[in-house]
Amino acid sequence: MIFNSELSAQQQHTTSPVVTGGSVIALAYKGGVVIGTDTLCSYGSMAAFKNVEKIAQVSKNTIYVSSGEYSDFQQVVKELAKIDRSALQYDDGVHPSPRDYGNFLARLSYKKRCKINPLYLQNVIAGFHNGERYLALVDIYGTYLESNFVTTGFASYFCKAIISNYWNENCTLDQAKQVIRECFKVLFCRDCRAHDVIQLGYVDEQGVHVEQPERVETKWDFNGFKTRANEKLHTQ
Amino acid sequence: MNYTDILSPKFEPETTGTTIMAVIYDGGLIIGADSRTSSGQFVADRCADKIDYVHDRIFCLRSGSAADTQTIAKYVRYYVDAHAQELGRLPAVATAANLFRNFLYEYKDSLSAAIIVAGWDPYKGAQIFTLPLGGSVIEQKWSIGGSGSTFIWGFCDSNYKENMSLQEARAFVLHAVGHAMYRDGSSGGIIRLLNVTKDKIEREFIDYKDVPIK
Repeated sequence: MIFNSELSAQQQHTTSPVVTGGSVIALAYKGGVVIGTDTLCSYGSMAAFKNVEKIAQVSKNTIYVSSGEYSDFQQVVKELAKIDRSALQYDDGVHPSPRDYGNFLARLSYKKRCKINPLYLQNVIAGFHNGERYLALVDIYGTYLESNFVTTGFASYFCKAIISNYWNENCTLDQAKQVIRECFKVLFCRDCRAHDVIQLGYVDEQGVHVEQPERVETKWDFNGFKTRANEKLHTQ
Repeated sequence: MNYTDILSPKFEPETTGTTIMAVIYDGGLIIGADSRTSSGQFVADRCADKIDYVHDRIFCLRSGSAADTQTIAKYVRYYVDAHAQELGRLPAVATAANLFRNFLYEYKDSLSAAIIVAGWDPYKGAQIFTLPLGGSVIEQKWSIGGSGSTFIWGFCDSNYKENMSLQEARAFVLHAVGHAMYRDGSSGGIIRLLNVTKDKIEREFIDYKDVPIK
């Protein structure tokens, strides 16, 4: 995969992202893997694009989401979607597995990192193949990690504790989805670049299912919030 | 990457990246603010009260560095209190505005503070003074401030009318702050409203689910 910028004399260096996507959380459950992400793309501190559906289906049994620069995400989706098509050339009926996509992305990310022109992304690839779940994180440098749960961005700071306490790798799909919803509630409260409308997608034996965006309920009407008004601090 | 370690070279201080607004209507003035205090990308306080008490009928809305504005407001509150005790009657809003101005102007190279002073006094009625970064003082009939204000200049320019009723002014502030919170990542949470009139002060808490635009 050769980028146009590498062919021309001018070297492009993506060191600062412009349009960014938010945190991604992915959990394995008994029978598959579920990914959650919010539907916001930020333009710096502005919440510019609010109904962005970011869960990409790259093959019959693989989904891909990332946080970071949105244009890089779109480019990677294009390249990953090509892989299955080009595999048809071999005419042997063999389709790339989710691990093939994860590995490809790790190699690609590492190559671009070595040229100091990274894909400004934290990538999550999830799939289900031959009765086995697959979930991997590929970061901006090309570090490849397979795991049962994966978080990117702010979720890595706020949500790992929630996941540790309420999730296990053999829970049901609904339990895993509920843990993800709780994580996004916390993120909406504590991350400036988060939105309360999220989208969940899961892969199981039957294939890929991407759900419609939904809004998570957050609580703001605590008594302490309401009565916390400054003139009470001054005895007048 | 969010740097909250104060010794880090990229330390991002706690600021009220914010949306604040004050509007004079026929009978008083309405003040509105969001409730998010951010430290870089982290929401340090999701239920902050940015409407600061200066005197019984004088309030200030703070934007910029939380530390700078809180300290200045504390000093001005003290000075206005002493002044009002000596005066024996309600102080002028312009007095409070001038005291703020002195801080912002003399220390303009060290401070990151922009303030809206809004209140009612018996001499000139409801007044709003905007004090931007350098320490100038501009009296206005309506004022918006903070990072979220950039998104609603058009809305406010089109929808502001002179001599609105209380209901119209309240709806104006609610929708304007709501629109700003919808687009500004540094504003969010709930909306706090304050109605200042000759006779009373009324606070209102607008829950997140009642914010007009989500």
